[in-house]
Amino acid sequence: MLVVNNLVKQYGDVAAVEGISFEARKGSIFGLLGPNGAGKSTTIKCISGLLQATSGTVTVGGLDVMSQAKAARKLLGVVPQELAIYEDLPAIDNLRFWGKAYGLRGEALEARVSTVIATIGLADRDKELPKNFSGGMKRRLNFGCGVVHKPPVILLDEPTAGVDPQSRKRLFELVEAERADGACILYTTHYMEEAEYLCDALAILDHGKLIATGSVAELRAQLGARDVLQLHGQFPADACRLAIRNLAESRLPDLEILAQDDHSLSLTLSSGSRHLSDIFAALSGAGATVSETVLRSPNLETLFLLLTGKELRE
Amino acid sequence: MRILLQSMRKDLSRWRRDSSALLTWILIPFVIGGLMTFVVGDGAKPHGVLLLVDQDESLLSGLVAGAYTRGELGELLSVEKVSLEEGTERINAGDASGLLLIPEGFEDAFFDAEPVTLTLRTNPSQTILPGIIRDVTEIVLDAGFYAQKLFGEEIRSIRQASSTNEKGTGPSAELVSAVAVAVRQRIVEIDPYLNPLALEVEVAEPVDTAPVAPMGLLFLPGIILMAVMFSANGLAADYWVEREQGTLRRIHCAPGQLGAFVAGKGLAAIVVIGLIGGLTLLVGSLYHGVGTVRFLPSLLWISVSGLALFAWFSVLQMLGSTQRAANILSSLLLFPLLMAGGSFFPFAALPDWIAAVGRHTPNGFVVDRLTTEITSTAAWAIDAQSWLIVLLMAASGLAVTSWRLKSGFARA
Repeated sequence: MLVVNNLVKQYGDVAAVEGISFEARKGSIFGLLGPNGAGKSTTIKCISGLLQATSGTVTVGGLDVMSQAKAARKLLGVVPQELAIYEDLPAIDNLRFWGKAYGLRGEALEARVSTVIATIGLADRDKELPKNFSGGMKRRLNFGCGVVHKPPVILLDEPTAGVDPQSRKRLFELVEAERADGACILYTTHYMEEAEYLCDALAILDHGKLIATGSVAELRAQLGARDVLQLHGQFPADACRLAIRNLAESRLPDLEILAQDDHSLSLTLSSGSRHLSDIFAALSGAGATVSETVLRSPNLETLFLLLTGKELRE
Repeated sequence: MRILLQSMRKDLSRWRRDSSALLTWILIPFVIGGLMTFVVGDGAKPHGVLLLVDQDESLLSGLVAGAYTRGELGELLSVEKVSLEEGTERINAGDASGLLLIPEGFEDAFFDAEPVTLTLRTNPSQTILPGIIRDVTEIVLDAGFYAQKLFGEEIRSIRQASSTNEKGTGPSAELVSAVAVAVRQRIVEIDPYLNPLALEVEVAEPVDTAPVAPMGLLFLPGIILMAVMFSANGLAADYWVEREQGTLRRIHCAPGQLGAFVAGKGLAAIVVIGLIGGLTLLVGSLYHGVGTVRFLPSLLWISVSGLALFAWFSVLQMLGSTQRAANILSSLLLFPLLMAGGSFFPFAALPDWIAAVGRHTPNGFVVDRLTTEITSTAAWAIDAQSWLIVLLMAASGLAVTSWRLKSGFARA
């Protein structure tokens, strides 16, 4: 339904997106995961036509978004990261206007507006101005405006940014309902738990590059069953590296250093909780001092750490 | 087409909620128009007062006083007799255009051909009326001088006979006859000098006898355009509001709707500008007694011109890198345009070269044609070429706005 092929977007010498490719299917949620500045929003903007790609192609329902822009855009529903609603126009008139902008008319429009206003939970406040709404209500209306024309492909750019837990849960329900209706959803986020919860398939971006792609299960398999152990304190570089290597060769063959500096050390290993004493002993022998320890079981966040050597939210 | 109407409806719905802006745009012309009317009155000719201190109280001093209100001068001046103290006090307070002092013995001195001084003080804060008073005074004095030179002897003999007649019944019939013969003789003597006249006077009939519009009415088109300019500029700033709200980005993503969106906003602007301009026009027309047949063409002209100004103010707004910069930029242009374009002063009251420049500004062009429509003898007086120019300006402004939105303003 949505195919991105070798997409590149450059600003002068700086590449915001470097040749990413993925495919999202009908009735599924495809997540674009990555920290701020990874290139997620740029990718969305290139797909929606707000930005012109430097090279590469994007097709929506088989239509090229550049050469067949008008027809392709009819298939798209965009829910931008920043609010894009008329705060001085009643909620229901917002939906009517955006419905008409995408070609809905007459009874079909009114029926769809009624459905959407009820789905986003604003039916009892449909005549009110959004400027009087809470942040979560505005987010829901923003979502409603993007899907009011029932698009087969929906682009959701960090829809839960700055949203309270209750509204976030409501938004998840709305997104899942659209998937159940057969929409193809591209969902960008930097929250790993959101991606794990919602997405059927994922692409992980960093610095404009696609560093991993696949279903959540496939990505977890890349990580294996290994935990991530993050230690903070004082770590003499060479002595610690030697101590960890010796420990891996003698007793813990899958022990690896993910990242290291004078004040932190990230390691990956299987069944980490059972080998903590061995690791502490080895590090102590190398002159290290551990002040804080975090042991994480395998998830997308640890996968990102494994792939990039840094935290997702850094 | 439907998104065009929907876009118009959407903006009208939003703008009507901004009552403070609408009220300001309506109040501006009424406040300025009220002040202008207060200053220049109903557009009638200026009227001044000449204070007269007549210490002679003679027939001749009465004739002199009457000279200032004779014929059309009476529409400009009225003469008020006052004492010297009151006259001095009032002219010092600027409460009159001039103060003329005719001293005691003025008539005797005139008839006896002796020197006499008339004192005229004028109001330095006025220019036109004191000038007229000064000119009339000089003409009266010149007339007296020549009457004295030509008929001095005859005047004196009649006056002498009147004063010595015991019964007080005036000069005898013989004397009057003798004076009449002498005057006739003098006229015959000077006739060769007067006829034929050394100057040839050619009386030309004015080609166009259209009545000159009163000054107050000439202010009306400029005041209407002031309201139109303020509202057009204010409405154009809505593009920044939409950009900040993110709705421009969203409409940019919609399939091929940007042109209709811009046109819809233009239609909404026509409605608002037409209402504000129409209300100002209606009140001004009622006040100045402008014929109702001119209302429709004037309103159409205001609305279409308002659309053109709105479209180009929109382009100007989009040149600013920030909303604040855009507002500064448009204000920098707005006020000089209003000054030069006949909104603060009608072209008739501006120096010729400023008026010539002003008529070539966008709003000056509109004011000039609106003045023609309002003051002409027949309705629909604006020529087809001017209509075409304004329509082209509106269409090109909307096209440039649309292009600017597509080329980046809507995407930011």
